[in-house]
Amino acid sequence: MRGAFALGVRGQELLLLPGKALWWPEQCALVIADPHLGKTAALRAARMPLPGGSTSEDLDRLSAMLDATGARRLIVLGDLLHAREGRAVRTLEAVSRWRERHHELEIILVRGNHDSRAGDPPVEWSIQCVDEPFALAPFRFRHTPDGNGGDGYWIAGHVHPAVLLRGPARLRERLPCFLFGPAGAILPSFGTLTGAALVRPREGERIFVTADGAVLEVR
Amino acid sequence: MRPGRIRLENWFRSKGWEPLRHQRETWEAYLAGESGLLHSPTGSGKTMAVWGGPLIEAAESRDEERALRVVWVTPLRALAADLAQGLQEAADGTGCGWRVELRTGDTPGSARARQMRSAPHALVTTPESLSLLLSYPESRKLFSGLRLVAVDEWHELLGSRRGVLTELALARLRALSPALRTWGLSATIGNLDEALEALGCGAAARIIRGDLRREIEVDALIPGEMERFPWAGHLGARLLPQVLQAVEEAGSCLIFTNTRAQAETWFRMMVEARPDLADRIGLHHGSLDRAGREEVERGLKEGRLKCVVCTSSLDLGVDFSPVERVLQIGSPRGVARLLQRAGRSGHDPARSSRITCVPTHAFELVETAAARDAVSEGAIEPRRPVRRPLDVLAQHLVTAALGGGFHAEEMYREVRSTRAYRDLPREDWEWTLDFVARGGKALRQYPEYRRLEETDGFYTVTDRRIAKMHRLSVGTIVSDAELVVRYAGGGKLGSVEESFVSRMRPGDRFVFAGRLLELVRVRDGEALVRRTGGSATAIPRWMGGRMPLSSELARAVRRRLEQARDGLYEGPEMEAVRPVLELQKSISKIPGSGELLIERLRSREGHHLFLYPFEGRLAHEGLAALLAYRISRLQSVTFTLAVNDYGIEMLSACEAPLDRALKEGLLTPERLDEDIAASLNCVEMARRQFREIARVAGLVFQGYPGSPKKLKQLQASSGLLYDVFARYDPDNLLLRQAREEVLDRQLERERMRQALERMERSTVTVLDLDRPSPLGFPLMVERLREKLSSEKLEERIRRMQVQFSTPRRRRKAA
Repeated sequence: MRGAFALGVRGQELLLLPGKALWWPEQCALVIADPHLGKTAALRAARMPLPGGSTSEDLDRLSAMLDATGARRLIVLGDLLHAREGRAVRTLEAVSRWRERHHELEIILVRGNHDSRAGDPPVEWSIQCVDEPFALAPFRFRHTPDGNGGDGYWIAGHVHPAVLLRGPARLRERLPCFLFGPAGAILPSFGTLTGAALVRPREGERIFVTADGAVLEVR
Repeated sequence: MRPGRIRLENWFRSKGWEPLRHQRETWEAYLAGESGLLHSPTGSGKTMAVWGGPLIEAAESRDEERALRVVWVTPLRALAADLAQGLQEAADGTGCGWRVELRTGDTPGSARARQMRSAPHALVTTPESLSLLLSYPESRKLFSGLRLVAVDEWHELLGSRRGVLTELALARLRALSPALRTWGLSATIGNLDEALEALGCGAAARIIRGDLRREIEVDALIPGEMERFPWAGHLGARLLPQVLQAVEEAGSCLIFTNTRAQAETWFRMMVEARPDLADRIGLHHGSLDRAGREEVERGLKEGRLKCVVCTSSLDLGVDFSPVERVLQIGSPRGVARLLQRAGRSGHDPARSSRITCVPTHAFELVETAAARDAVSEGAIEPRRPVRRPLDVLAQHLVTAALGGGFHAEEMYREVRSTRAYRDLPREDWEWTLDFVARGGKALRQYPEYRRLEETDGFYTVTDRRIAKMHRLSVGTIVSDAELVVRYAGGGKLGSVEESFVSRMRPGDRFVFAGRLLELVRVRDGEALVRRTGGSATAIPRWMGGRMPLSSELARAVRRRLEQARDGLYEGPEMEAVRPVLELQKSISKIPGSGELLIERLRSREGHHLFLYPFEGRLAHEGLAALLAYRISRLQSVTFTLAVNDYGIEMLSACEAPLDRALKEGLLTPERLDEDIAASLNCVEMARRQFREIARVAGLVFQGYPGSPKKLKQLQASSGLLYDVFARYDPDNLLLRQAREEVLDRQLERERMRQALERMERSTVTVLDLDRPSPLGFPLMVERLREKLSSEKLEERIRRMQVQFSTPRRRRKAA
């Protein structure tokens, strides 16, 4: 995969993709977190006259990665839809069309806090909705990160992590990141317009950012 | 003499006043049906000059029907009550039977409804409340018998979108009441002609100058040990003992600061140094609770307080007798502001006003000397009106549609009758109308954005939800999300920005409202606190532009420096700062007017380039981005940029090709617009500016009062809005407006152009230093930095490191 970063975790090979997704070849699974589809539609429902287009752009990016990896399974780590108000006809139609294109794909949604308010996706999309954690050895897929306890390595979203880098000549750069700790990992948010929150990693955590179409490890 | 005039003058004499020349002149002009602008310093009786005319008319009219005759617009809600009281007193004094009422954001609903049914003769209001009033169809009848609209503190409104909102409201009022006279009241500013034009009262309008001319003295507290006085900084704590001494010697005293955080700090320092004075020192700034502020104002008025530490919150209006001494912490940054603040001392026309500047770093001594020069030359800054902001127009169109509707063509003419929109192109007009009526091109497919209904070119609003949301959003003041600070026991202290509280945890201590507080918890948009002892860990900062050094003052500074270059140190401030300037000469040099100094320095941090255009921090921000961009085109490089009022620092990890850049037109004013636009894409400013515009144009609804939580999930950051539009609706004219406003207002494009022209004509001197010069040092320690890069992100990242968190250190016990 172009620009991907390969990583061994609990005996499994994982690939971090520049499109802010995780590719797990052994299970043929693509993992993303926090797409927040329909966010602009939700803002529109609050009468903010925003032009549309972000949802279909995110879906196109997802399609491109699904095609490139040949994934048979998609695991979404929560916050698939942004809000109940975002279930606009246009948004739902766009997702339905996308679903038809990938009708053979198995989709698992680990419910997140936004999903509990926005409601489960329409049945026609045939998405299997589960509460966290969703276990697929050796991993546990979650929406919210889960400290050090429990069996297996957890992989979560929710945080929309970004990291602050500093360099000589007082250079600073704030970038969305993947965060891999000893007990679990946090993925960057997939959605284009979802924002990011600064985290201060602890020693022993590995951090990866996307730059110019490639995933790089930073220290 | 007219009978009404006799009654008015009798009342004047009963107060022990004699009508001044400018008051008589304004009465006569008004009675002759004229409009105009009256300017003079604070405390010269402008209000009575403008109010007298209508009172004379009223006193003479026997069968005066009950109708609204005068609208008095003031920019400060806090001043409205005092103002209304003063107007009422004069009306009572002439026995004309007029009633003066208030209509501001604080006026209860019942009073507003009563005003619609039975109008007072005069209404004191703010631009926002006036605009809101125009959104009710009943206002057409209300305003039909209007004789005068007066705009108070016009200089204060002029340079902002609030001024444009006022211009549009004035045009509306004139359309509803064609015989209306308009008078503006203003402090003296450098562009009175434009100020008059912006009132929109036609070519026949006149300017009347107030009588009062007082001597202004400007001096400085001179630091005792100049060798140890800092070259950079903004606090000025070193002069605390001298300030305390000045306070002690004066009967009453105002201490002006440039920011709220600085006011909090100074108040704290003074009280800690002199606990015996604690009850006699007050604190006053815009984020404090109104009740607390009024208490301080009363204390000063009644002599209970000896000294008040304040910000620009006490620049305007507030009626209290003059104090004996006025101090200014740090540079006043402009001549007009200095004069305004100086005017707070010695209101007695026979005495002079005096303001004493308290330098926070060495170069502010030069600024004080320069300010004195500028004052004596009368070099007062202009306030440039805002040009055709489409967000304000969009808001006004919805207002007008709500207030009874409008014909497109008539409204276009009406809008173009204002100065702000006099050259509004038809395409921009049509775009804006389409945007509010149908959501514009990008949103036409979503019917819910049709804010206006159209029948044969006549526009109205019928949807009640749109009406309600619009009325809640009228105005152009955009504030950051704020949290009320309240004692866990109940009493309200004021408000701080949400971002400040969000970085704190319960138990953290901070200084606010002059008190040391501990955060108990945050609940429902309120930060609950309790008083505590020990020492503080934080002082809230409030966003908001730092004023740049004005062109007028900057010019005077350059002149003073040139004199110093030639060995001429005149006056106590220049004598005091002499060792620092001599050191500048020995390490580097002092640039003269026709000279551009560039210093090069290599340090542990990297390669520094310092340039000193002396054009104020805003123009420097733009210049820094522009010059960095031009250099970065020659070689792949990443700069971090720092600016202050005197100069620019460009810092890079590898050496920048300066000599080549100078040869290839680094300083040329050619292609300025294109290059600025390109460099602007690299910085973040347009995104930030868009926030205000989006809110004013009605793109962002800030929520119904009392229901902030429900909308939380729907709140969008302004940056996000900008991104959405930039990506999916790039031709949106509001985006263009955001960019233009950044260029004109934030980066002061005109000043940049002038600076470049000056720099291009100058002799360029490049010096390699082995240690920072006194001019360069303050830039080196400046922490706020922009970044500009022509390197790939990947290359930059390879040099950078993650900030890992360290275990939280235990705080030292107090």
